[in-house]
Amino acid sequence: MNLMKRVSTLTLAAVVSVGFTFGATSANAASATGKVVVAGSTALLPLTSQGAKEFKKSNPKVSVSVSGSSSIAGPQSVSKGSATIGACDWDATKAVPGFNAFKGLTAYKVAVIPFATIVHTSNKVKNLSTSQLQGIFSGKITNWKQVGGKDAAIVVVNRKTGSGTRVNYQAKALKGKSFMTKGNYKEVGKSGEMTTAVGSNPNAIGYVDLAYVKGSIKALSYNGVAATTTNVKSKKYPVYGVGYFLTKGPAKGANAAFISYIQSSKFQNGSLKKLKFLPYRGF
Amino acid sequence: MAKIEQDIMTPPAEISEKAVIKKSSYAKNRAFYVYTLGSALLLGVVLFSIILFIGKTGLQVFNDVSPMEFFFSFTWDPYAEKYGAAVFILGTLSLTALTLVFAAPISLALAIFTVEVAPDWLKRILRPLLDLLVGIPSIVYGYLGLTILVPFIRSATGALVGDGLLAAAIVLTLMVLPTITRISDDAIAAVPTELREASYAMGSTRLQTIFRVILPAASPGILTAIILGMARAIGETMAVVMVIGNTAQLPTDLYTPTAVLTTTIVNQIIDVEFGSAWNNALYMMAFLLLIISTIMILVIRRIRTKGA
Repeated sequence: MNLMKRVSTLTLAAVVSVGFTFGATSANAASATGKVVVAGSTALLPLTSQGAKEFKKSNPKVSVSVSGSSSIAGPQSVSKGSATIGACDWDATKAVPGFNAFKGLTAYKVAVIPFATIVHTSNKVKNLSTSQLQGIFSGKITNWKQVGGKDAAIVVVNRKTGSGTRVNYQAKALKGKSFMTKGNYKEVGKSGEMTTAVGSNPNAIGYVDLAYVKGSIKALSYNGVAATTTNVKSKKYPVYGVGYFLTKGPAKGANAAFISYIQSSKFQNGSLKKLKFLPYRGF
Repeated sequence: MAKIEQDIMTPPAEISEKAVIKKSSYAKNRAFYVYTLGSALLLGVVLFSIILFIGKTGLQVFNDVSPMEFFFSFTWDPYAEKYGAAVFILGTLSLTALTLVFAAPISLALAIFTVEVAPDWLKRILRPLLDLLVGIPSIVYGYLGLTILVPFIRSATGALVGDGLLAAAIVLTLMVLPTITRISDDAIAAVPTELREASYAMGSTRLQTIFRVILPAASPGILTAIILGMARAIGETMAVVMVIGNTAQLPTDLYTPTAVLTTTIVNQIIDVEFGSAWNNALYMMAFLLLIISTIMILVIRRIRTKGA
């Protein structure tokens, strides 16, 4: 009897407190401009999370949540309604090889993402040509010796399908040549996993956007051109993609504010450059 | 007469008082009964709908792919509309088998040690320690596997990649070890002391007692423990995805990248469009896992009824 009383009091307390919490939240939401949920590309993730941090400072009442899984998840989550902004490394309103166009979405350019071929820092190889990369990633060149390295078999690390980095790298660096699918080959889900996989294996080769190149991985030159933002800007280094934010129809309210903050020259010439991305204007 | 009257009059008064108490507690009992029954029914309905949804979505894959191809083809290439899940099915079965080979003997030895050999102070350390191992998030196991175990396997075996069934099985062994050990521990501890005493009284050594008397007596519990451990190993995803390599190929050895059902699902499910054949194929793989664990639960129930 006593127990029942206690349980019922506890339940009542729980219900009341939950009610208050939700009531408070909805009251907040009514006075604020709303919420922004970004999902998609991990290549754009360093940029989006930095942007969200700065945006929240000037708009404390807007809730911004940022997550990254893969580019294709961006437009898909927006279509499904689980995110308000989808980050994607290609313009998902148009079809690209392997992926259909998404209808009803509006695309906003936000940044230029340079991609780099990466190897372990202990690797002697400094430069690879288009045909050498095509050979390595299709599984025809299997030993580092064949491209001027030490005598060791090459381990190819690839991103899984759905990755925008993979789409861009395949189109720009490999000129559309297809990837190998078996042998000394492994696939990883995200940009972060790529750096861990290559950084922990001296014989591995992979690719990632420039923002992630640090620690025990280094970027290789492509056809003799170093992977730097300067070389991307002067159009000497061709391996880059354009990052897009996609919204269902034209962006409104908090989402429009967030996108215009990311597109503002303050952010484009400030934090974005520091993260080794490039302003989208001019590309 | 008055006395008799009193005798007659009093009991009804008592009964009515009792009845009042009974009525209010009856209402409470009834409410509690309805609440608990409702919770049980809710769980049942949710579980049933999950099974129905996964099964229904999964079976739709056979509109686009023949069961022969799905279960026996080794070609998984969704962009070429090839949905052969045999690599993943074989991978899951062999990974579970390998984990069983690693984990069962070690866990059993650990359980026997905890109950029969270890002094009391060590028991008091060992048991909480094992419980603590269960609490470590699986992603942490995966990360440790990726950064420490895989490079170690690479240098120890001379393998190039190092990711594969061996790394995954070692990580899984560490993860299922506490489950198997703690349940076996309980089973062994539940063997009546009389059996031990009788065995020793007949002149058996400790080893003979353990292997001829205690283990057979505890065997239903131990089997349950092993099956529960395997059920965890089959469903484990986050740790495995980090060390298995995620390549849809049949491995030639234990340290060549491959993939299993769970890792393929987790890697691809967010990237596929709902309603596509690819999506349905992934659901079918989930349904397969569900069927496997259901079979395991049925086996456990059978063992339990036999044991009782």
